[in-house]
Amino acid sequence: MSRHSELKKAVLRSVYEDNAGIPRSGQDPRRTRHATVAPAPAPGSGYRNKVVLAVLLMVIALLGVNFRLVTVDGSGPVAKQVQDNQSSNLTTASLFLPDASEGEPALDKKRPADLEPARILKDSARVTSSHYDAMLASLGMPMADLFNLKVQTIVIDPGHGGIDPGATGQRGLKEKDVTLDIARRLRDKLAASGDYRVLLTREEDRKVFLKERVAFAKTSHADLFISIHINSLPPGAESVNYLETYYFGPHTDQRSLELAEKENRESDYAIGDFRGVIARIGDTLKTQESRDLADSIHRHLFSDLKRINHDLSDAGSKTGPFMVLLGVDVPSVLVEVSCISNKAEETRLGRPEYRDSVADFLKSGIVEYLERRSYPGTIQKGKTQYVVKQER
Amino acid sequence: MSSSKKDKMIYIGIDLGTSRSVVSASNGNRKWVESYVGWPKDFVAKKMLGKRVLFGSEALDHRLALNLSRPLENGVIKEGTERDDAAVHELIGHLIELAGVGPDDEVCVAVGVPAEALKVNKIAIRNAVTDHAKKMMVVSEPFSVAYGLGTLDNAMIIDIGAGTVDFCIMHGTVPTEEDQRSLLVAGDYVDEQLMKLLTEKHPEADFSLNMVRRFKEKHGFVGEPKRRVKVEAPVDGKFTEFDITEEMRKACESPMPAIVETVIDLVANFDPEFQESVRKNIIVAGGGSQLSGLDSYLGEATRQFAPCTFTCISDPLYAGADGALELATDMPEEFLEKL
Repeated sequence: MSRHSELKKAVLRSVYEDNAGIPRSGQDPRRTRHATVAPAPAPGSGYRNKVVLAVLLMVIALLGVNFRLVTVDGSGPVAKQVQDNQSSNLTTASLFLPDASEGEPALDKKRPADLEPARILKDSARVTSSHYDAMLASLGMPMADLFNLKVQTIVIDPGHGGIDPGATGQRGLKEKDVTLDIARRLRDKLAASGDYRVLLTREEDRKVFLKERVAFAKTSHADLFISIHINSLPPGAESVNYLETYYFGPHTDQRSLELAEKENRESDYAIGDFRGVIARIGDTLKTQESRDLADSIHRHLFSDLKRINHDLSDAGSKTGPFMVLLGVDVPSVLVEVSCISNKAEETRLGRPEYRDSVADFLKSGIVEYLERRSYPGTIQKGKTQYVVKQER
Repeated sequence: MSSSKKDKMIYIGIDLGTSRSVVSASNGNRKWVESYVGWPKDFVAKKMLGKRVLFGSEALDHRLALNLSRPLENGVIKEGTERDDAAVHELIGHLIELAGVGPDDEVCVAVGVPAEALKVNKIAIRNAVTDHAKKMMVVSEPFSVAYGLGTLDNAMIIDIGAGTVDFCIMHGTVPTEEDQRSLLVAGDYVDEQLMKLLTEKHPEADFSLNMVRRFKEKHGFVGEPKRRVKVEAPVDGKFTEFDITEEMRKACESPMPAIVETVIDLVANFDPEFQESVRKNIIVAGGGSQLSGLDSYLGEATRQFAPCTFTCISDPLYAGADGALELATDMPEEFLEKL
């Protein structure tokens, strides 16, 4: 047999093996994913609604409804009577078990059931925002953990699109194409676990206004929002290439402000809208979680990318006044993956395998954040570990 | 499968491209269609057009009455959009129909797709084909071209399509991800550049993207022009002649630096012992290979780094489909049985 025939035979075998590995019709992970994704959460199951529920629970707790604190070792419930709500010195201390040295708290000093409706109303009127602040300040743990808020829906936002190409590299590579490709890959990787419903704010090359992106996150009942962008630096700085990750907050330097101004263009927000959303800046839960998510993504993306991209610099995980982050009610971050204005980086971003790696590293950061949150409710208090259990 | 059964089978090679899709069958039929699929927007359009779905230039001609899809734009199925999934399904069905397959014929199909689509949409494409054929395989376009030309070892194929430029190094097996590259600066990018240059230079003229694409396909060149490029476009409704030689050259050369750099990069990363062989065996395929002067331009551009020999194939329209057909025909029975 001639060498060419041998070669042909080997190639045909490779083609066969390559194709035999493709799942048969009906096994399409994309279709499977669509078929098995958790149904759109019913109203009330989204992160925002959970926050509302959490606040309501706090009010109830402050009024005296029993939170049951159970030791981790399962030694049985240790009922903790919330302190007398008639006291004008309402503090969050009532939510925590005393140290073991303090002994068993007095039980049934005043059961919630004993409270008359009129009394509850009267007491609830006394609860002010300062009480919540005091409670949050003394929690010693993320509020999301305390209330076991779960992530079900992740919205990924590929920056720019359609007539808005975003930044364009020297060789013509457009930010809108790179962000969409990375977002698709990230979506597939995250959805593969079957644990999350993962959605994109745009599935194709089309213009989507910032306001539409925010509205999409809300109507989809997003629990996490991750916006993907590629940076571009002005002429003269083409040799620079860095990664930075943002969550909403005041700008930390002039460059962050300029970048936010650039990404906020065509935000389509009216001044009235802006006043509405700016009022939510102090959302403690969102800020806590956004910071944790940004830190986790940034740490993974930088350390992993640096291994294959030695000229990448670390511009940090930080706050910035991005409208898209402000408008979304749930933990949200904006990742500027690298600089397309850097010629070598543009070449790398043009390669599918590099974009795939970026998606992989983003996934690692998100997964680490989610895994850390999958063991919620653990409170370290003295030497005893307790888990807060919500009465449902 | 008995040999008589194999004899009765109709083999089909399909090149599913961003711009054009081509079919080549063992019964001798060879056809192509522009990769557009359109469904009538409403019952009025359906009644007027008299068809459930339209393809190619017919769809393009009636685009105002249709929900039009060009499913492999940018070299991949726009994932998540059901319309594009459905368009691929319809397009493959239409190509098999064009191949003259009867309802009772047993069919074996090999489909060549852009390299990026092979990676991202392999399963979606397989599902689209399995409704029309029981035996099928999906490969990348540059690979099917290489197979058809018999360049299976120590060769590089550059497939310049509309959505992507795909590079693939052949070394006696199915190319892995490391052997392949894709650039997004391809035919559509050239059209955009030409449109931009013409609109800037002749703001008074009405150019459309379709017109510009036709200009490129007829007159596209790189390097020194062999003749002046003169075209007609309407100005206030009256057709006027324009000399677009310089704009055409600039637009057609716009993806060249990236192509040259990728070639050098791929060669440099190949086994040093075989680099020389690869450099002398670079095949340029796809619609972009029809640009006049391309082989000598690329040869000149790579001379200062590592002299390379580029050969543009003679039948770029059918090379992918013919290669896929050959692949389907050559596939041994024991493998075919399990596909």
